[in-house]
Amino acid sequence: MGESPRQIVVLAAAFALMVALPAIASAMARPDFVTLGSQIAIMAIAVASLDLLMGRTGLPSFGHAAWLGLGGYTVGILAFHQADLPWFVTQAWFAWPMAILVPAALAAGIGALCLRTSGISFIMITLAFAQMFFFLFIALKAYGGDDGLSMRRRNALPGIAPRDDVAFYYVCLAALVLVLFLLRRIAASRFGAVLDGIRQNERRMMAIGLSPYPYKLAAFVMSAAIAGLAGALHVNLFRFASPDLLHWTMSGELMVMVVLGGLGSLWGAVFGAAAMVLLHSLLAQWTEHWQIVLGPILVAVVLLARRGLWGALGGPKGGQ
Amino acid sequence: MSALLEVRGLCKRFGGLVATDALDLDVRAGEIHALIGPNGAGKTTAIAQIAGEQRPDAGTIRLAGQDITTLPVSARVRAGMTRSFQITQVLMQATALANVALVEQVRQGHSFRFWRDAGRDTGLAGPALAVLERVGLAPRAPVVAADLSHGERRQLELAMALATHPRLLLLDEPMAGLGSIECAAMTVLLQSLKGEVAILLVEHDMDAVFALADRITVLQNGAAIASGSPAAIRADAAVRDAYLGTP
Repeated sequence: MGESPRQIVVLAAAFALMVALPAIASAMARPDFVTLGSQIAIMAIAVASLDLLMGRTGLPSFGHAAWLGLGGYTVGILAFHQADLPWFVTQAWFAWPMAILVPAALAAGIGALCLRTSGISFIMITLAFAQMFFFLFIALKAYGGDDGLSMRRRNALPGIAPRDDVAFYYVCLAALVLVLFLLRRIAASRFGAVLDGIRQNERRMMAIGLSPYPYKLAAFVMSAAIAGLAGALHVNLFRFASPDLLHWTMSGELMVMVVLGGLGSLWGAVFGAAAMVLLHSLLAQWTEHWQIVLGPILVAVVLLARRGLWGALGGPKGGQ
Repeated sequence: MSALLEVRGLCKRFGGLVATDALDLDVRAGEIHALIGPNGAGKTTAIAQIAGEQRPDAGTIRLAGQDITTLPVSARVRAGMTRSFQITQVLMQATALANVALVEQVRQGHSFRFWRDAGRDTGLAGPALAVLERVGLAPRAPVVAADLSHGERRQLELAMALATHPRLLLLDEPMAGLGSIECAAMTVLLQSLKGEVAILLVEHDMDAVFALADRITVLQNGAAIASGSPAAIRADAAVRDAYLGTP
């Protein structure tokens, strides 16, 4: 997975831009840019986690919003009950690992079932489970039902003021860098080589003595765990857990961002997420029918850049 | 001594079609046993059942005395039996070396290792390169499989099977699609494996079959109609009628 020189330059520039973003935003007197930046970083984490399944293992999960939502509701519900629970449930060091563990544990059970199927059935069964969670949280009136659940203040991080949006942005950016680093190590590891093999030719992998199932399940659980972290950050950013986070359109948007960035290209996740969040925000200012404009743009990117934005950056032979 | 592979009374039907009909087959350690017959005789179905991809309706399969009839494919590979495919099944986006290194990795045990760079692991690349050397593909090791020629991919297909260190290879038409020069090279290569690994060879190229095989079994409509030495098979009237034709 060597990057081309052009891709390395773009990557370095993108990273520098993200580091400098709060300074640029304050110079332009546009604090909303910082929120936009946090949104991009959070979505990039979610997209990267889905890419581990879709791009690397070849498992097109259409229920990834479930993990995002479960991670988000985990921190939201812990904060909701903080009066009855020990003090540390609203501390990030406790709440965020819980937001990783809860989706991971549920993904272990659900993945064990879903991975008995493949192809279209896999897409449909993952969608079905995600919709189940969506309707569960719609029905849970105690946690706001379809109004969602608001959070009085962000999870406490040592040395960071809860209302400091810039500091929170850097937390999101650090989480993104950490996740990308982890996923890159995994991609190059023995485990990653097996996932690559399963995607390219599962029959061959079995013929050389491998049982693909446990590896697919491990990828499914890891993917859900990372998405759970993204969900926790998302709910912290807006101090609000919305059932929209669990809706199938969110799963679809994540899939679109994976393809937009470039299937199987880790860095592509960042570009896919950035393109989607920025287009969404720009077009929505311009017209309330922004989706009419977004649709053709996505079609054009998919047609013109088969390997997504990241692949297009690499030139004819670059990228993966 | 009993045979390395013992197939007894193997039966498989797909609806009204009898694909395998009470097939008995032995492969002894180190020998090349060819399975021949007209198209649709059930050769590939027989291989698929022996390899574990399809479950037989009846019959038993033993490898070195152990009943493997119900074992999954991966367990059969660990027990020492690996198949190759008629239609090349390699990882097209990976280099020749990475393809074989992955086999070596699977052979070494589980792959729940998330941290170290597998591409720089000499414990994988070393043995993989040795196998590529064996099949004559070492100079092409850094080439992505999609950029290899068809003949080179057939060599890689064989290299991947060999890299599992099998006692028995199930080769499903290793010469498929090869030109006459490549066929001759593959024949020499398979010849060089003789004695080291037993081979159950399904092949349509009769020159290769008669050059390589110690014994031949002829299939027709899923049943073995003859089995014996190449000379005996060549002389067999039933086989001539069914398959070889009159010279």
